[in-house]
Parts: sequence; C-alpha cells; structure tokens
Amino acid sequence: MIQLGISAFYHDSAACLMVDGKVIAAAEEERFTGIKHDNSFPINAIEYCLEEGRIKLADIKEVCWYEKPKKKEERVYKVFNKRPLRTLFLRLKAKKRFKEQNPFLVLKSIGYKGRVKFVDHHRSHTNFSYYTSPYKEAAILTIDGVGETETITISKGQGNTITKIHSIDFPHSLGMLYSTITSFLGFKPNEGEYKVMGLAPYGDPRRYFEKLNKLFKGSGSNLYLLQRYFTWEYSEQVMFNKRLCRLLELPPRLPEEEVTQKHKDLAAALQKIYEREFIFLVRKSKELTGTTNLCLGGGCAYNGVANALAYKYFDSVYIPFAPSDAGSAIGACLKTHTDISPYLGPEYTDKQIYKVLSRYKDKVQYFKLSEKKLIRKTAQLLTAQNIIGWFQGRMEFGARALGNRSILASPRHPVMRERLNQVIKKREGFRPFAPSVPKEEASKFFHLKEDIPYMNQVVRGKTMLIPSATHIDGSCRVQTVTEEQNPIYYKLLQEIGGMCNIPVLLNTSFNLKDQTITLDPQQAIERFLNSRISFLVINSFLIKKK
Amino acid sequence: MIKRIQKIIRSWQKEKEYQKKLAELRKRDPFNYKNF
Repeated sequence: MIQLGISAFYHDSAACLMVDGKVIAAAEEERFTGIKHDNSFPINAIEYCLEEGRIKLADIKEVCWYEKPKKKEERVYKVFNKRPLRTLFLRLKAKKRFKEQNPFLVLKSIGYKGRVKFVDHHRSHTNFSYYTSPYKEAAILTIDGVGETETITISKGQGNTITKIHSIDFPHSLGMLYSTITSFLGFKPNEGEYKVMGLAPYGDPRRYFEKLNKLFKGSGSNLYLLQRYFTWEYSEQVMFNKRLCRLLELPPRLPEEEVTQKHKDLAAALQKIYEREFIFLVRKSKELTGTTNLCLGGGCAYNGVANALAYKYFDSVYIPFAPSDAGSAIGACLKTHTDISPYLGPEYTDKQIYKVLSRYKDKVQYFKLSEKKLIRKTAQLLTAQNIIGWFQGRMEFGARALGNRSILASPRHPVMRERLNQVIKKREGFRPFAPSVPKEEASKFFHLKEDIPYMNQVVRGKTMLIPSATHIDGSCRVQTVTEEQNPIYYKLLQEIGGMCNIPVLLNTSFNLKDQTITLDPQQAIERFLNSRISFLVINSFLIKKK
Repeated sequence: MIKRIQKIIRSWQKEKEYQKKLAELRKRDPFNYKNF
C-alpha cells in the first residue's frame, strides 16, 4: 500500500511517503521554499517524496490528510456566530480560504484522483507520538494551539489501539496562550515560543504569576481561559486586547524594542504557568490511563523544560522528533507501530557535491578525505575553537538539526555561545545552544533519566566544563547520540572525547538569521561564504574559504 | 486631590500607550495569527 501523508494550510506544511507501513521519505515544505514555517500546499515536499521513492503520483493508493477540514470549518463558523457583525469580513475571508484550500480540489489540481482519508488533527499527533514510540502501552498527551475543535487530548495506547479518554476544546488553549504572550513580548507567534522559553530563566516569575493566573477560570483538565483578554475568536490580527495590557500593567513590546527585566519576568511567569498546567495534565493522564509510559505530542511538546517534569508521574517519557503539525503528515498515515528515523530528507552523492563545488572554485578550497581522516581533521579543528558547518547524509525532519545539517562548535570555551549567537547566527544573546553527547557518556555530564535522542527535554548539567552549552539556570537541552542513529556524528563525538576528554559538541541548526535549515550543498556553500563559519564539511569534503 | 489627578493622568497615559502599541502591532503582518 502506497500512502502520501500531507499536512498543509496551517503552519509547518509537510509531506511523507509511506510504502507498506514504512516511511520512505518526509520533508517540510519550508526547506524548499525558504519560507519559515511555510503553510502552503507542500508541492515541493511531495515532489521530493515521490522522487525519493521512485513513485508516480498515479501509484499513490491513498492520501492521508492530517486533519478534517469540514469539522474545522464548522468550528470556525460556530465561533463566528457568537459575534455575527464583528466577524462579517472574517467570515467572508474564511469562506474564500476554505474554498481555495479544499483538499479535493488542491489534490485534483496536481493530478491526483484517488482516495483521500481525513484524520482528526489531534489523532494525527497522537498516532505520530505513540506509533513511533517504543511502548506497547502508554498514555498519550497532545497539547497544541487548536486542531478542528480540540486543543488538548489525553488518550491511551494499547497494542495498536488508541482510545481517546479526555479532551479540551477551543478557545481554551494552552498553546494559544503561550503564543499570545510570545507576541506580547514582541516575538512572532508559532515561531518565537523558543525565544520565550530561552528568556524565561533570566526572569523572576513572581512579578507576573498572579496576574497571568487571573486569565484562568479553570485549570488542568478543566482548563478555562477567560476570553475577555484575547481576540482569538473574532480576529486574525494581534491575539490580545487592551484588557491584557491593563491586567499586566505593561504595554506590548515591539520587536525592535529592548528586552527589559519586565519582559524577562513575564516570560518566566508564562513558563511557570505553562509548567503548572502541564503537570496537572500529566497527572490526569496518569490517573486516567494507569500506565507508566507517556508519549507527548502537539507543538507544545517542544517545550523541553516542561517535558522533563513529566517524570514526576511516569517512568518513561517519549517525545517524537517532530511533534508539531509537520509530524502529523506522518501521523495521519500510521495505523501501527513503525521503526522510524528522523533522517528522512534529501541526501546528495559525492559526485553531485563535487559538481557544485567546482562552481565555487575561485572562492573555496576543498579536500576529499577518507572518513577516518575527515573525522580526525574535523575534531582537531573543533578542538582548536573553530566553528564548523556540518552537512551529512539525509536531511532531518522536524525543527531540530540532529547532526546532519548542523553548525558545530566546542562548548568548552565560555565565549563560544556569544560568538555563535552574535557573529554566526546573528540572534538574541540570551538563546541557549544544545549539546550533543554519545549516549554512554551522557550521564557523566548531565542528570538524565533516559536517552534524549531528539533534543526535546531540558536537564540539569553536572559540570562546569561545558559553559557554552549550559544555560543561565544550569540547564541543557541535550541530544544523546548513538552509533546506530548517526554513525559519523557519533564517531566525531568520540574522536573529540579522545582529544580533550569531553565528548560534547554544541549543535545548532545549519542556518543563519531568519533562514530555514540548509537543504542542499549549494545552500550550504552560499551560507558558509556569507558567514564567519570557519570550515565546512559536506559528506567527505572538507572545505575552506580562499 | 493632586495625587488623584496625577493617578488619572498616569492611567490615561498608559491607556494611550497600550492603544498606540496595539495599533502598531496590528499593522505588522508577522503578528497576525491564524486560528483557521
């Protein structure tokens, strides 16, 4: 059975190709268009998937759509009916948009005439989290902005069966609350949430905690947010109104304005409130399912600080590599457990790379090395405090670079974080970097409960030897690497360990400010030339600027 | 009395600022949020 999974028209559009229950290829549309969190129909991602699987569109037996548009449309109009006059123009806009984004019409326009299966938005999240987990029985908690109607679900997975037990509906949404405060703090909703998370440890939550608490009429599994502070139900513009400013006694921050202590305190309070609600939901998941394993899904599962708290009630916690809507393209296809790797994107042969390199002969010098020599040389350069662009094999699926499209640096020097933030990535100085470490060495440097292969949990550091990888509060968003998962990256970490006894690297995504993660060798070389990255490694080529 | 007037003025100024900032944010597309 050949299936094509599609997530589109909200954010993080993506496509995946599945043949007989095995994911052959998957990619996010943003990588091809260069538009961050691109929500357009993922035509480029679909083309890539078909090419990778050497399959024609006519061979596809079923398209699995990651949500039910009809159900979503009903919710939107139902909400508009509460304020018919105020939402008149928005209703017309919605009508037009739903018509243009009708999956049948869009799929017909690309020549697909087969079956289309629509899967509930949160069910797609649930499927992706549970069926890619190692568990045969687990509680599944999904939290995001909004799907068709649901914003939070609790389910139980047993064997191949998933049963939904509890859900919370729009407009009561933890994801939307987080996005609202993100935009209040001058960051872009659906993108800047990571920045708020990074900012939170710099603030004191006490200043705004009680004020934010006033937004809640109900908590945890009875979440009820007072809508008088928000505009979600009747506007697509700014997500809050003047009442929220009055409540917080703070004007919203414009992006170009300085981040003050008040903003840091608000970020800290928001994170605390989110953690409180999250832990209530985790406890409820435990009560309702009685299992010892927990799978997390939905965009909020990127909140690594909160995720780590789930161990209070569960022995084991699994968070997939793309818990947001992108992963739902895969989740929509899944009906049973599957072995899956996050490396599902395009890869390039040495011949293709050589062809690209030859076009930059006057700007770069390159050397083709054996794997052993390449690892040794790269490790030497990293130990000497060089910053390296690292491009290997298939591109990762999801928001995290997991060692195939990464910028690498040594975490041993305290100024490396500033150098990376300000000189290379040109982003806010408060944002932390994630360390990668071989799985078996991880417990020497971090307080881990389990492996964290996809960088989606924040743990306490044990040592002062890696200052650039440690956030201001002593936390680290770790990636544990195994030889099985990523052999060459694992060998590089081991080589570094052999040289300086600290087998840890700073691993940040291979992109510069406001760019999407690097897709192909040409993009990698262009970015290398336009930045102060010292060396670039593409497969077996070591490249330096002339 | 003066304190009361000062308080009213301060709160009026704050309101003005909130309004101005919100209007400015509304103009900026990146801050628009889709709920459908």
